[in-house]
Amino acid sequence: MSLQVLDPTYDEDATILALADRPSTLADLTVGIVSNGKHGTQPFFAALDKVLREDHGVAAVVHVTKSNYSAPADAEVMDHAQQWHALIAGVGD
Amino acid sequence: MSNAPVLTSRRFELADGMAVQEHYHSRGWTDGLPIVPPTGDAVTAGLEWAGLPPDHLVGIEPVLQRAITAEKVAINAVMAGCLPAHFPVVVTAVTAMLAEPFLLQGATASTGGCGVLLIVNGPVRLELGMDGTFSALGASDRATTCIGRAVRLVLGNLLEVRPGGIDRATLGHPGKISYCVAEDEEHTPWPSVAEERLGDPHVSAVTAMAALAPRQLMNEWTTEPEEILDTFVAEIKANMTHYSIWPGNYAVVVPPQLRQHFDAAGWSKADIRHYVFERARIHRRDWATCGKGAVVGRKGDDEYAALPDPDHLLVVAAGGPAGGFGAVIPPWLGHRSRAVTMPIGACVDC
Repeated sequence: MSLQVLDPTYDEDATILALADRPSTLADLTVGIVSNGKHGTQPFFAALDKVLREDHGVAAVVHVTKSNYSAPADAEVMDHAQQWHALIAGVGD
Repeated sequence: MSNAPVLTSRRFELADGMAVQEHYHSRGWTDGLPIVPPTGDAVTAGLEWAGLPPDHLVGIEPVLQRAITAEKVAINAVMAGCLPAHFPVVVTAVTAMLAEPFLLQGATASTGGCGVLLIVNGPVRLELGMDGTFSALGASDRATTCIGRAVRLVLGNLLEVRPGGIDRATLGHPGKISYCVAEDEEHTPWPSVAEERLGDPHVSAVTAMAALAPRQLMNEWTTEPEEILDTFVAEIKANMTHYSIWPGNYAVVVPPQLRQHFDAAGWSKADIRHYVFERARIHRRDWATCGKGAVVGRKGDDEYAALPDPDHLLVVAAGGPAGGFGAVIPPWLGHRSRAVTMPIGACVDC
């Protein structure tokens, strides 16, 4: 006899997050980098900063560090992010 | 016409029980162990026992912005082997984990590899046959094991906390399969963990704590409370040097053979908390004793306490009648996640 069983996973259709629009180029834009604050992020994001400016023509790179590396970014960070054209949220260890 | 609540989850028509196992295993929806097929009837029975509609909002996970409904929790609880009567405990545990102080995303994503320890208190333990005596910390009975497992399946299936997915644990520990203990309230004069944290001696409740594996200890060569606690303190200090120096919720599990000495000396849980708070401290220089001298720096004389305050210690009466053992259960990385105690039957959105 067959069994009818139910899907235990989250119903993705109910997700209330939506992806932000993607810029077609990074040239002359302001890009924010939100670090989780762990030591390993420092040299990585320093190198990424260089790549963004020199290879992609980014006008400004803004570095922000979360107050708690395990928690979502503080509201002030998210408010600040409204002024950027793009954001890189980095997880480092 | 049926009055059964309408379940909205996608349905699969599968040939038999074995086909169900393969369907769920192959999609990564299990912990590797066999599951109970989550049929509509079984899921509805759990919801009806708890008096919850399928779309009842258990909570919202803030990072993924996911609304967790009772229907989805019930499906996972059935899969874990839970009976309908177990479901209110599972819902309460998930509610506690979704409370902001628990910091669910951080705790379950961390390379630090914690599990979610559930401490169950109150009359519900007896109703469900939860046994806080023999082998209290592992495979003690059906309800305890299945309730702990349900939480893990919820994390995996509803919040993507699967190894290599959101779960980035380097090692993890066996408690991640099921980590649940019912306090042995019948064999102690002490108030339960829930009574101390909620102030109600009659409440059934669940405490959720982001926790590492238990570190077992033994001292059956003294009757002095201070000496017994010195062994617990030594274990906590070892964790602070070997794993994490940061303060947070620790749990200590005290079985009857040791509890009798505290009872004879008139020691309360509060007395234990204060003793441990004062003594579970190390200096940063102690890191050098276990190969971590490189991070001592110029702060060697700085003192670190295991507990931000005495109330961060959860004292749990549990264990079989014989044996001078005990256990220290350390927190996941200090105070970033805080233990949350939730009464069973509380509703967060009504």
